[in-house]
Amino acid sequence: MYWNNVETYPGTGYPKNWMNLGGGFNESGDIQEGIVPNIESDYGIPWDYNFDELQHGKELVPNQTPVWGPNWDEDVGAGNFPSDNYFFYIPRICNHCSNPGCLSSCPRDAIFKRDQDGVVLVDLDRCQGYRYCIAGCPYKKIYFNPKISKSEKCILCFPRVEKGLPPACSQQCVGRIRFVGFLDDVESQVHKLVHKYKVALPLRADRGTNPNIFYIPPTETPPKFDAEGRVIEGSNRLPIEELETLFGKEVHNSIRIINEEKKRRAETGKSELLDILIAFKHSEMFRLDNEYYRGYEAHKNNPLKPVDERYVSGKHTKKISHFKAH
Amino acid sequence: MKKLTGLLALTGLLGSVAMAQSIQAVKVSGDVTKITPSSKAWRAVKLNEVTLYPQTTIKLNDKKANELNADRKAFNAKVGALYDGKNIAIKIVWPDSTKNTQNSSDSDSYADGFAMQFANSVSNVNELPYIGMGSKGRDVTVVLQKAVEATYEPDGKGDVSLQVNGRNTNYFNKELEIFHKQVDSLSNTDYQRAFVAEGFRSMTEIKDGSMKFNSVMTHKKGKWSGVVTKTMVDSYTKLDSKAFPVVFAVWDGDKNNRDGLKMLSSWVSVNLVKGETELSKVTNEVVKGDIAKGKQVAMDNCAACHHFEDATFAPANMAPNLENIGGYATASYLRESIDKPSAVVVPGYNRNSHPAYEWYTLGENGERTSTMPAYDWLSAEDKTNLVAYLQTLKAESK
Repeated sequence: MYWNNVETYPGTGYPKNWMNLGGGFNESGDIQEGIVPNIESDYGIPWDYNFDELQHGKELVPNQTPVWGPNWDEDVGAGNFPSDNYFFYIPRICNHCSNPGCLSSCPRDAIFKRDQDGVVLVDLDRCQGYRYCIAGCPYKKIYFNPKISKSEKCILCFPRVEKGLPPACSQQCVGRIRFVGFLDDVESQVHKLVHKYKVALPLRADRGTNPNIFYIPPTETPPKFDAEGRVIEGSNRLPIEELETLFGKEVHNSIRIINEEKKRRAETGKSELLDILIAFKHSEMFRLDNEYYRGYEAHKNNPLKPVDERYVSGKHTKKISHFKAH
Repeated sequence: MKKLTGLLALTGLLGSVAMAQSIQAVKVSGDVTKITPSSKAWRAVKLNEVTLYPQTTIKLNDKKANELNADRKAFNAKVGALYDGKNIAIKIVWPDSTKNTQNSSDSDSYADGFAMQFANSVSNVNELPYIGMGSKGRDVTVVLQKAVEATYEPDGKGDVSLQVNGRNTNYFNKELEIFHKQVDSLSNTDYQRAFVAEGFRSMTEIKDGSMKFNSVMTHKKGKWSGVVTKTMVDSYTKLDSKAFPVVFAVWDGDKNNRDGLKMLSSWVSVNLVKGETELSKVTNEVVKGDIAKGKQVAMDNCAACHHFEDATFAPANMAPNLENIGGYATASYLRESIDKPSAVVVPGYNRNSHPAYEWYTLGENGERTSTMPAYDWLSAEDKTNLVAYLQTLKAESK
């Protein structure tokens, strides 16, 4: 199970066809039915080879006929090479939604969203492995770990975040495409990208979970070629409808703003937006002032703990811990 | 006309036989804590039939599971009890043609299982805890057994080196075998748990060993047999009065059952004394009333929010679904809920899953008030007819 994957779009994604597996909310806010993916046919198990038999003269063969696996359709995309084929990548982690489908599906109140930063976590002490959370997540970004019979998910590396460090995936991204910060911190680059310039958009916001991972859509794609291999001027390989499916109608606005800022930069040499997107400094990309967390601890008189405090008393004591319904 | 009346009377009689929600516990000398489903001691016990109904009060969001369970029928389980004065052993035998165990490599396979729910205290037999994991102020203890092949729940001992795939170690041949054996030794193959709960969502595992219990389940010839043994009096339950109530639930892994997707009984009275008890009168009560008139009362007063029979025009999720309420609620519970809806508030869905329909509102101190208004103003006759009608709401038996 990959909590953090990069998939090729158009493509089946990971798990296979996750966009068609239900979950999320309808317009009246009701949780929708969903499907729990199968580990072999939908996630794909990396197959293995008979390496230890090679010393006995055997031929190298896989232990099962490989029919599916993560990134099986990597770089396949759509269209015909070389005239109009196209693809792009979507990196996907848990969206740490403001209205999480996983949390709302849990009949055990085992999933919670932290007050201090909105990170969505599973209380493994309460989780009983029912898997309704997986059905309820429209992104299929919560996983059942069959070894421990409980659900697990991306924790946004919260122990790092509490120390002012970005999640490991953001820190080590060589392309510097992952910005992290508090959306309500007007000085943060994430605030500027999402709210000031409105160029970063949530993925499949139509599923009603208010996701908190935002994407800057691809703005430039190569032109198509005609039958003789000549460039068709003004053509665009990437159909805008595909981007609308992922990011909604706002994608037009986002692309327009980025193109305008590029033009401004070319003409005047100045553009705050492009400076942000160039990602000059980690310290600016990740505005996670650790004083915030220390302040939170002091203010709430409540040391930060990796588990939800609500259930700790129920863990090893005779008395039931009364959960705080909200 | 005479013939027709005769037929109806016969149906009524059959119905009341199926409703016998009590069992006679048999006292034996010696210790019952080691008793298994196949122990000879059970020969002294005549197992009683108890009907299990599909839980339909709330509907969960697994599409495939909901399709598999769309047309569930009720079926009978056989139950009985043995006690030695200090400990009790309760047995349940239920039909299940397929043995489903949950293994440690599938993401979408589910285990067969069973559970028994005990009321933590019964001060008034007419005010038993809510059937589905108790209710506020009326907490319950639940013993759960699932057919699980192996789980590797973190034990906090930090044995990280054993939590990797064998392929990722430097071991080969003999050493690899030893590694796998060490990993296997960490597995838990007996998935038995005890919980305390006071309503849906509140179940909390008892992990400190403060409850002495054991449960076993075995599959033979298309039937599961399960036994729970536990101390009768501990810090949770006091099962030493003349009779105590218990609820049975079973899960079918073949139909992706888990959690609320289950078959469950009504409260069953386990009688430690001969004959009827105050409790068994409650669990066995079948209200006599005019069912047609009761249905009219339900259509006029309940159908705007609740679903039952052909009354399905209320928005889904607005209120507890009543289509099997007659299968797993006692008449006392139905009367109490009509008169005092806030006496037992069914917590229902996660509060974020259907925000348009809150089943209860919260006071300043977290006290829950049911969204349902009291219907204590109904005439005594209407109430009787209504309860008689509600008792008929249950899935047909297989």
